[in-house]
Amino acid sequence: MRWRLAFLGALLIPDLGLDPFRGGLLPAFRHPLGTDDLGRDALLRLLLASARSLGFASACALLALALGLLLGWHGRQLRGGLSALRSLPPLLFLLPLAAAAGGLSPAATWLLLGALLAPQLEPALRVRLDAFRRSSAWAAERTLGATWPSTLRRWAPWGWQQAAALFPSAWLAALWSEATLSTLGLGPGPGHDSLGRLLAEELPRLGSDPSPLGWAALAMVLGLAWRSAPAQGA
Amino acid sequence: MRRLAQGLLIWGLGLGLALGLPGAVWKGAAPPPFPWEALAPTALACGCLALLAPCLAWAGGPTLTGRRPLALLEAPPALLWGGLLLALWPATWGPPGAIAYLLAFLAAALPSEVRWLAQALPAEHPFPAAWGPVAVGRVRRIVLARLWGRWLAARLPLWLTATLVLERMLGRPGLGTDWLTRVALRDRRGLAVWVLVLALLWACSQGWEEAEA
Repeated sequence: MRWRLAFLGALLIPDLGLDPFRGGLLPAFRHPLGTDDLGRDALLRLLLASARSLGFASACALLALALGLLLGWHGRQLRGGLSALRSLPPLLFLLPLAAAAGGLSPAATWLLLGALLAPQLEPALRVRLDAFRRSSAWAAERTLGATWPSTLRRWAPWGWQQAAALFPSAWLAALWSEATLSTLGLGPGPGHDSLGRLLAEELPRLGSDPSPLGWAALAMVLGLAWRSAPAQGA
Repeated sequence: MRRLAQGLLIWGLGLGLALGLPGAVWKGAAPPPFPWEALAPTALACGCLALLAPCLAWAGGPTLTGRRPLALLEAPPALLWGGLLLALWPATWGPPGAIAYLLAFLAAALPSEVRWLAQALPAEHPFPAAWGPVAVGRVRRIVLARLWGRWLAARLPLWLTATLVLERMLGRPGLGTDWLTRVALRDRRGLAVWVLVLALLWACSQGWEEAEA
């Protein structure tokens, strides 16, 4: 989880400088993957865009887990509604919304994606929290009449530990959702460079006019997917 | 009953949202006709998936969930398969056709569906494994036959998302694109029909959800 959270810092890195007069250079010693059409070093751009995508996915997963914890604890009376929300895949809602709005800002994508992923995480979190609710530790807490702040101080780390076990799956769902939105040209605008945006630019010409950057972006997606696959299956 | 009412309330809100979708297209356009010509390829793709996934789950059994190769095939998003197809498709062959679309869709959706079904199969040790392979096969067949309808209802919206992504990437008209087009053209009635279909699918999958809870 920590290596994923480390990428949050990448969201603060400024964009690479543009130099259109050096656009479309072939791979060379100074530019191992060449340069893109706007003169940015392709390797640097690939690394920066991937790091930003990973950081964005971490931010979405954090929001989704925080909301999921709230739903898991307080949402027992709302199971029917949550089940209906879960039946709609986040992308099926986000894609038309982004198309209708002409694209979504990074903040809106973060909020919507986090909110849409939370009901998907709720059942797994509820199972963990319900086990705690039935435990003697929680009974003792209530019998002793502990105040909410002190309960939160004692049990928040435990709650977060439970949520952290689901972090990789939430992170992967957020990563692919944002990448898909951007690849289809509906994600955050040009100011938010990401792996999906890179694919959106490179995929259409990969068959006829391939560039090392396009292949490297595809390989990055494949590598991320395989790195994130559970060792023993799910 | 309470759960059903809550779910229907959510779908009612969705219906209200579809009927009251804000905005208007700058140039009045008639609602797009339903893409009947896309129905056959989509039905073929979903039909292949609906038959292949249970067959593979039946052949592999519950141990499939622990297989690393299946997890590796399941991990990439639909866009990767679409992207690879576009990248490897020879330009001289023209745009990818129905068969290529079908292959990309199966590559994107089949591994996760097989794992989903394999996870739903009961453990086989000590029984029915002790009764022999015939009994094991029979138990798997009975479980999968009982699951089939609810599995379809629960997973069809996900398949629709996969078709939407692939249709957009490969430039093919289809059911997923129809949903997107109706939002873009503010065809509120058409969207309401879509919401009702999704609500119906949710209602059909409810038995499974209760068993899961």
